[in-house]
Amino acid sequence: MRGEILRLYKSVHTWTGLATGMLLFVCFYAGALTVFEEPLAHWASPPTYGFASIEDADRLIEATLATRPDVAKDFTLHLAMANEPARLSWRKSRSDDVVWSATLGADGELRVESSNVSGVGAFVDTIHRTAGLPVDRETGTTVMGVVSAVYAVALVSGLILVLPSLSKDFLALRLTANLKRMWLDAHNLVGVASFPFHLVIALTAVVFGLHEPIYDALDHIVYDGKLSTIMRSTGPFGGVKRDEQKAPMKRVSELVAAVAVVSPEFSPTRLHYRDADTRGALVRVAGEDPRFLSRGGGFAVLRGVTAEIVNVDYLPEKQSGWTAAVSPFFALHFGSYGGAPVRWAYFFLGLAGAFLFYSGNLLWIESRRRTARRHGEQVVQTTASRLMAAASIGVCLGCVCALSFAIGSTKWLYGHVEDVDAWRRGIYHVVFFGALAFALLSGAARAGIALAYVAAIGALSLPVTSALALAAPGLGPWAGADPESAGVDIVAFGAALCFAALARATARRAALGPTDSVWSTRETTRGARTPLSSNGCAAAVGAGEGDDIHG
Amino acid sequence: MAERRSDWLSKSLSGSALGFTLAIALAGLFAVAGPGGLDARNKYQFVMWLVAPIWLGVASLVFFFRSGRAAFLWLGGANLLAFGCLYLCRRLLH
Repeated sequence: MRGEILRLYKSVHTWTGLATGMLLFVCFYAGALTVFEEPLAHWASPPTYGFASIEDADRLIEATLATRPDVAKDFTLHLAMANEPARLSWRKSRSDDVVWSATLGADGELRVESSNVSGVGAFVDTIHRTAGLPVDRETGTTVMGVVSAVYAVALVSGLILVLPSLSKDFLALRLTANLKRMWLDAHNLVGVASFPFHLVIALTAVVFGLHEPIYDALDHIVYDGKLSTIMRSTGPFGGVKRDEQKAPMKRVSELVAAVAVVSPEFSPTRLHYRDADTRGALVRVAGEDPRFLSRGGGFAVLRGVTAEIVNVDYLPEKQSGWTAAVSPFFALHFGSYGGAPVRWAYFFLGLAGAFLFYSGNLLWIESRRRTARRHGEQVVQTTASRLMAAASIGVCLGCVCALSFAIGSTKWLYGHVEDVDAWRRGIYHVVFFGALAFALLSGAARAGIALAYVAAIGALSLPVTSALALAAPGLGPWAGADPESAGVDIVAFGAALCFAALARATARRAALGPTDSVWSTRETTRGARTPLSSNGCAAAVGAGEGDDIHG
Repeated sequence: MAERRSDWLSKSLSGSALGFTLAIALAGLFAVAGPGGLDARNKYQFVMWLVAPIWLGVASLVFFFRSGRAAFLWLGGANLLAFGCLYLCRRLLH
């Protein structure tokens, strides 16, 4: 009975893992990058001249509203940062993707432009939420909600599989000739060690993707259709009536000071205005307070005319009751607590997660080869395992290449094309699907080498772009001289070295490794149509002990 | 797959469908009868967050049932019980 259940759980783990692994690889790799969304966006943003202090912010608002009165309904003021001036941003309507922004030049002159260059952060975030599927953001997020539900099942079933032999196998990384055993140990080690992280990510991703249908079901069954009324009345803007009568607003510094009275350590980064210059004006002062588990920052809502605080439900220090009970889920997904150490930890946990899915696919392929050999048949790789190997390589390395080129291209596109964001998205999809097609056509072994080199070039393109910009300023791209941009270049350079090492290792295996593997290039060079296989090398790597893969 | 009696399809379906309805009912019970009642400020968010762990917990552990039939009967029974309690609580408390 027990063996039967474990066998069933093995199939559950295998199939749920295979069904979701490749999409999750994209989400985790892009997710690891979103941890450093701000430095990335900063790296890709053109240098902004002009500087605006908190006093200038009032002038910026005044000047913008004087030329564009319709903006007053809904806009965001981004406070000046160390190397970025204050900026106003808005959209013409909620469904409009084009973000407009206004800044003050050094001469105090107002500059209004449609800004899509700083969209690198948003771009990586969209890839993270939708796994880069060529669908719109909503659909992609919902699809990934369902995928995450399957991923949760894969996760729990994986834990059930390793539990019986946990004390024996955990931390046992057998670096022996048995490559498959080594991959399995590594897969189990990473899986068990980061299990809590993955469980949190899976559950929160399900909620982020599927909260609307879940709310709908609860509304029908529990709340008698009154849920939307409850949400509106207790929402951050609830209880304050719109009042169109004109009234002067409090200054930005006064609004910020009013929040500081309630929560001194909270550092505001943006002010979101609703119905500015009217008596019903509300301002949401949003910012960060890494001392608390909050929803990736937090906010307080104030009356624009009096600076009286209306809502502190979402202010990290002041959150209480049920809001405080929910906030940790957000914080644990975003890693928005504890500052830099936690962010680096999330970065590496995200990359480790990507490795987990990649190694899972690899194990499936390797165990197929084993099964065939144990029954004494001729070792012929099935079409399924060859396709799976090629698709894994194509999707995983394709996503890595595509993200690098899409991010790097931003600096080259700016000033040459109208819609940088559309071009960047296009580059991502061309590289991604190009890599996938290449992998499917040429097989995992060849594609594994070539795409790893392409990934190295892609990562290298970031520091090279910066270096070129320094050497030849006339070319177009600019170089950020600040530590944040330099950090991005250094990490990208390190990544390029890793990918190059991966390419070399893959090439060595393809040339010298067992020829009955999907990773060997030797057999296919002789007969173009024969499957990647051989029957002459049965004693090679992987043919060790006869125990079951999850035994 | 080599398993003779794995019932993987019936178990998966029971787990994902009945697990979801069970999660809605249990979260609803918490909303109605739990601390603060239905109207507690922002409690609806916590109630919504309860659904995913219950649902996916059931969907993951459903394969421990002896058969697909057993899974369907036990989870169906649990659903009836939970929805019955939810109905009663709402009649009694509101």
